[in-house]
Amino acid sequence: MNGNPGSYLMPAAADVAPTRTTALGARAWRVRAGLIWTLVRTDFKARYHGTLGGFVWALGKPLTMFVVLMAVFSFLFAQKPTYKLDLIVGLFLWDFFADGTKTGLMSLAAKGYLLTKARVPPWILVVTSVSNALITLIVFSVVITVFLLAAGRPPSPAALVAFAGYACALLAIVIGFSLASSVLFLRYHDLNQVWDVVVSAGFFLAPIIYPLDILPERFHFYLYIWPPTPVIEFSRSALVRGILPTPTGHLYLAFDAAVCLAAGILIFVRLSPRAAEYI
Amino acid sequence: MSSVIEVHGVSKAFRIPSVRRETVREHFLHALQPRRFERLQVLDRVTFEVRRGEGVGIMGRNGSGKSTLLKIMSGVYRPDEGAVIARAPVTPILELGVGWNAELDAVDNILLIGTVMGLRLAEIRAQMDEILAFAELERFANLKLKHYSSGMAERLGYSVAFKAVTDILILDEVLAVGDAGFRARCEQRYLELRGQGHTAIVVSHNPRIISTFCDRAMLIDAGRIVMEGSGTEVVERYSTMLAQGRHDPAAGGPPA
Repeated sequence: MNGNPGSYLMPAAADVAPTRTTALGARAWRVRAGLIWTLVRTDFKARYHGTLGGFVWALGKPLTMFVVLMAVFSFLFAQKPTYKLDLIVGLFLWDFFADGTKTGLMSLAAKGYLLTKARVPPWILVVTSVSNALITLIVFSVVITVFLLAAGRPPSPAALVAFAGYACALLAIVIGFSLASSVLFLRYHDLNQVWDVVVSAGFFLAPIIYPLDILPERFHFYLYIWPPTPVIEFSRSALVRGILPTPTGHLYLAFDAAVCLAAGILIFVRLSPRAAEYI
Repeated sequence: MSSVIEVHGVSKAFRIPSVRRETVREHFLHALQPRRFERLQVLDRVTFEVRRGEGVGIMGRNGSGKSTLLKIMSGVYRPDEGAVIARAPVTPILELGVGWNAELDAVDNILLIGTVMGLRLAEIRAQMDEILAFAELERFANLKLKHYSSGMAERLGYSVAFKAVTDILILDEVLAVGDAGFRARCEQRYLELRGQGHTAIVVSHNPRIISTFCDRAMLIDAGRIVMEGSGTEVVERYSTMLAQGRHDPAAGGPPA
C-alpha cells in the first residue's frame, strides 16, 4: 500500500485522435450545458407541475406569511413607517435562503440515482438545485422594484446595483452551504432535521419581523454573524431607505460570502469523490 | 492493436463498522463508545487492459468485486490505489432499472438520463422515437414514471443507454432483463455495436453470454483476477468453482 489515492484518467481522447481534442472538448461542454438546462427545467416542472399557475401558487407562501405578519406586527411597530416594505424584503430574502439551503442539502440524495449511472460532476446536481429558489428571488426582485416605483419611492440605479450584489452574496452563501451539507447529508441522514431546527430558530435570529434597532446595539454584532442578517439589513437600507451601507459593511458581507462559499467548496472537494459510495 | 482502457493495480476496500452510525444523533449520543472497523477488500491490485474493438467478459460469484470493478472503470467509484486510463469515452450501463424521477414523464427522464450518459439534447430529441420504440413504450411517452412497472422502467433505461454509446460499452448483467423479445433486441443491438467496432466489457453470470458474446474473459474471485482465457474456458472454470461451492484457491484471500 503506497497510500496514494487512485485516479481515473480520461485524457480527452488525445491519444486516439489528437486533432479532434478541441472538438471533443466543445462537445463535452454542450452535453454539460444540456444537462444543466434539463436539470433546471425538470426541477421547475416537477415542483410547479409545469404550469405558470403552479409557480404563482409557490409565490403564495411568502405572500401569505407577509399578510399574516403584517396584520399582526404592523400595529406593534406602528411608529416605523417603512415596516411593511422592510418586512416583505426580509421575508423574500429569507425564503430564498431557507428554500435554497433545504433543497441544496437534499440535492445529492434526491438525484443520487444519476451519480451511480455514469460519471457526472456532482457539483452540477447541487448548484442547479438552487435554481428554483433563485427564479423566485428574481421574480420577487422585479415585483418589489415595480412596487417601489408605484409607491413613489423609486430605488436609485446605485441601490439596484447594490441589491443585485447582496443577492449574489446570498446566492454564494446558499451554494456554499448546499455544497457542504449535500455531501454531509449522505453520511448523516438526520442532518435535514437538524437544519430544520436551525432554520426555524434562524428566522427569529435574523431581523425579519422586528427592526434590528429594537435590540441594544451591543447585540447587533452577534446577529450579523448569522449570514442572512447583513444581506437583509443592507438590502432594506438600499432599496427602502435609499442609503448605501458603509464600505466596511460591504467588505464584511463580501468576506462572509467568500468564507461560506470557500468552506463549502473545500468540504465538497474532499467528500464528493466518494459520494456515489454512500448512495 | 492499441489498448483503449487500462486498469493498473486497482484496489478498493470498504470499511465496515461494527455498529452503523448514520445520524448526527447517533454520533452525538455514542460519541464515547469506541467502534471497530472491519476492512473488506473488494478489489486487490487488479491489472488488465482491453484492446480497441475487443469484447471482454467478466465472471465471478456474487460479492467477488465485479460490479465494483465496473463502477471504477466507469468513473463512478474512485479506486483506493491504482489507476484507470480510458482513452475513449465510456458508456456504462449499470443499475438502470432503479432511480428515475418519478414525477417526470418518460420523455423528460430520457432527456435527463441521456445527458448524463453524454448525449447532446438535440441528439436525444432526434432519437426520441427510436428510444421509445426500442423499449416498446411509445404509448406511454407522456406517462409519469411513478406509474411505470419496474420492467418498463428497466427497458427504458437500457434503451437510452444503448443509444448513448459513443465508444466503450460497459454492461452489468444487461442482457438478462425483460422478456425474451426484449432480451433478443438487446443482444442484437449489442452485436450491431460490436460489428461497428465498439469495445465492450460485459459482466454476466450467464455462461451463454460470456462464451458467445465475448472474445475473451476473466474470472474474478475475492477481488483478484484468478484466470484469463477464452470465454468457454472461463465459463468451465466458473462452473467448477460453483459446483465445488468454495472460493478459488488461486485467489488467496478469504471467501467473499
